[in-house]
Amino acid sequence: MRPADLVREALLSVTRFPGRSMLTALGTVLGAAAFVSTLGLVSTLGQQVSASFDVRRATEVLVQPQDQGADTGWQSEKSLQRLRELNGVRAAGPRVLLDERPTTRAIGVPVQGVRLMGVDPPALRVIGPALAEGRLFTEYDERNALRIVLLPRSVADQLGVTRTQAAVFIDNEAYTVAGIFDDVTRRPEALTAALVPFRTAGKLTSANPKRDVIIETAPGAAQQIAHQAPLALKPEAAEALRSIAPPDPKTLRREIEDNVTRSSLMVSLVTLVIGTVSIGNAATASIATRTAEIGLRRAVGGRPAHVFAQLLAETTVLGALGGAVGAFLGVCVTSAVSLWNGWTPVIDLRLALVASAVCAAAGLVAGLVPAARATRIQPVAALQR
Amino acid sequence: MLELIAASRTYDDGHPVHALKPTTLAIGNGEYVTITGPSGSGKSTLLNLLGLLDSPTNGGYRVSGDETAGMSAGHLGSLRGRLFGFVFQAFHLLPGRTALENVELGMLYGPHRRAERRARALRAIEKIGLAHRAHADPRTLSGGERQRIAIARAIAGTPRVLFCDEPTGNLDSANTATVLRLLRELNAEGLTVVVITHDPEVAVAGTRTLTVVDGHVEEA
Repeated sequence: MRPADLVREALLSVTRFPGRSMLTALGTVLGAAAFVSTLGLVSTLGQQVSASFDVRRATEVLVQPQDQGADTGWQSEKSLQRLRELNGVRAAGPRVLLDERPTTRAIGVPVQGVRLMGVDPPALRVIGPALAEGRLFTEYDERNALRIVLLPRSVADQLGVTRTQAAVFIDNEAYTVAGIFDDVTRRPEALTAALVPFRTAGKLTSANPKRDVIIETAPGAAQQIAHQAPLALKPEAAEALRSIAPPDPKTLRREIEDNVTRSSLMVSLVTLVIGTVSIGNAATASIATRTAEIGLRRAVGGRPAHVFAQLLAETTVLGALGGAVGAFLGVCVTSAVSLWNGWTPVIDLRLALVASAVCAAAGLVAGLVPAARATRIQPVAALQR
Repeated sequence: MLELIAASRTYDDGHPVHALKPTTLAIGNGEYVTITGPSGSGKSTLLNLLGLLDSPTNGGYRVSGDETAGMSAGHLGSLRGRLFGFVFQAFHLLPGRTALENVELGMLYGPHRRAERRARALRAIEKIGLAHRAHADPRTLSGGERQRIAIARAIAGTPRVLFCDEPTGNLDSANTATVLRLLRELNAEGLTVVVITHDPEVAVAGTRTLTVVDGHVEEA
C-alpha cells in the first residue's frame, strides 16, 4: 500500500462523515482556537500598550533630590541649561510644591485650602495644561516673579472663580488669574493645585517644600535622559538626585506578553490534552462499530500494519483538520475582537501552522492505542457480522 | 490447488469445541463447489480455513502446493489478497463511499496503482451489469444490486478463487437467480467458486457439493 493511498483512505474516512469527524476533533478545534486567539490577542494588545505608552508616559522624566534639603543649586538656571542641552530633551523646568494655602476669591468669602505649585514656563510646557481661557506664564512673568496664577477648572469652581483677570487671595496676597485649564498632558497632580511662576513660589515660605525637575523627552529617549539628568543637574554629586522614568515600554510589553503567553500556552496545552483524549476515546469507540470494516480490509489482503497505519493516519488527519479549523476560528476571533475595539489586529500566521501541526501530532498520539487494538481484529470477524 | 490435509479446527473457550474434525480435501482449479449443512455444522469454519481467514488447529493446508502453516499474518494477508475474493451475506459495503470506490477497495492492498484499480473496478462493475450505478451510494441500491457490487469487489482484482458465504441469504428469488447466473458465468470463465449455502437451489448450482455435519465433511 502506498503512502498516497493511505492518506486518501484516511481523508475518505474522515471527510465522508464531516459531522462525526468534527465532533471527534472538537477538542483539538478548541485547543487550536484558544492557542491562536489568545496569542493573537496578546500581540494585538501588546501593540496597543506600546502605542499608548509611546505617546504619553514614555516621554516623561522626573528628577528629585534623595533628600529634600536646603540645597536648591541643582534647580538653578545654569544647571537647567546643561540639562536642556542634552540630546532628547524637549522641555525641562523646575517645580516646587508647597503646602496648602488659605485661598479665597474675596475677603469675606469662605476660604479653601489649595496647594501651590511653582513652575517656570518650560516646566509648564511639560505639564501641558489644556487652557479653557486665558494664557500661560511667559518668561516675563517668571523673571519678574509676578503674582499671577493658573487654576484648574475644579479649583476655580471651588473658589467661585468664573473668569480670568479676576483676583484670588492666597495667604492674603492678591494674585491675578491668568488662565483656567481643563486638563493636563502630564503630571495629573496639577489638576488639584494652583500654578504660580516658579520664582513667585520661591518667595513664599513653606515648612516642607518639595522640589523636582520635570522633563519632556523625545519618544524613546526617556530611559537615556533619566540616566543622564542627575549628572547634568548636579555634576558634583549626581547620586544626590534620582530620576523616575516610566518603565521602558518595550520591556513592559515583553513582560506582559511573556506572562499572558505563558498562561495562554498552559490553557492551550490543557485543551489540547483534552482534545487528544477525546480523539483517542472516539477512535477507540469507533473501532467497535468498524469491526466489520476492519475485518473486511484484512480479508481483502490488508495486513495488521495497514490497519494500524490507516487508523493512525485517520486520527492524524482529524487532528490536523481540527487544528486548521481551530486556527481559522482563532484568527476570526482575534480579528473580530480587534475590529470591535478599533485595534489593529496583529496575527502571526505561522501560529496557525504551528497549531495545525501540534494538533496533528496530538491526533497521531491519540491514535496509537486504538490503532494497536484494531490490529487484533481477525479477518474472520468480517464474515461473522 | 487448495488442499486440506487432516486439517481440524478446535475452539477452546474453557471447554474445547471441535468445529471441524480432521478433514482431507482437495479443490481443483475451475471447480464450482457448494458447501451445505445445518447451522453450526462447521461450514463457516471450513470456508474460513479454505479462505485463509483462519488457521487449522492441527493438520496442514496447501495453496498451489505451498504449505501455509507458519506463515506470518502479513504473508497470509498478501496471499489472500492476491488469490482469493470474498462475498459475504451482509455485503459489507462501506457507507459514505460510492459503489465504484467500494469495488476499488478490494484491490487497495494489491500491487495495482490507483488508475489501474479504477479501470479494473469499472470493468468489474460493467461485467456485473451495474455500470449505470457506479457512482451511486450503496445505501440507495437494492439488496441484489449491493450483492452484485460486492461480487464486483471480489473479482475486480482477478482472484483465482471466489469464496461466497451465503451470498443469496438476504436476496429474493429474482435477485438470487441473477447472482447464481453471475457465479456460473464467472466459473465458466475459469474462476474457482466455493459457495456456502442453506438454499437447495444454490446448492445444486455447483459442479460438486460438500455436506458438513457435526464437523465432518462428506462429498454429496
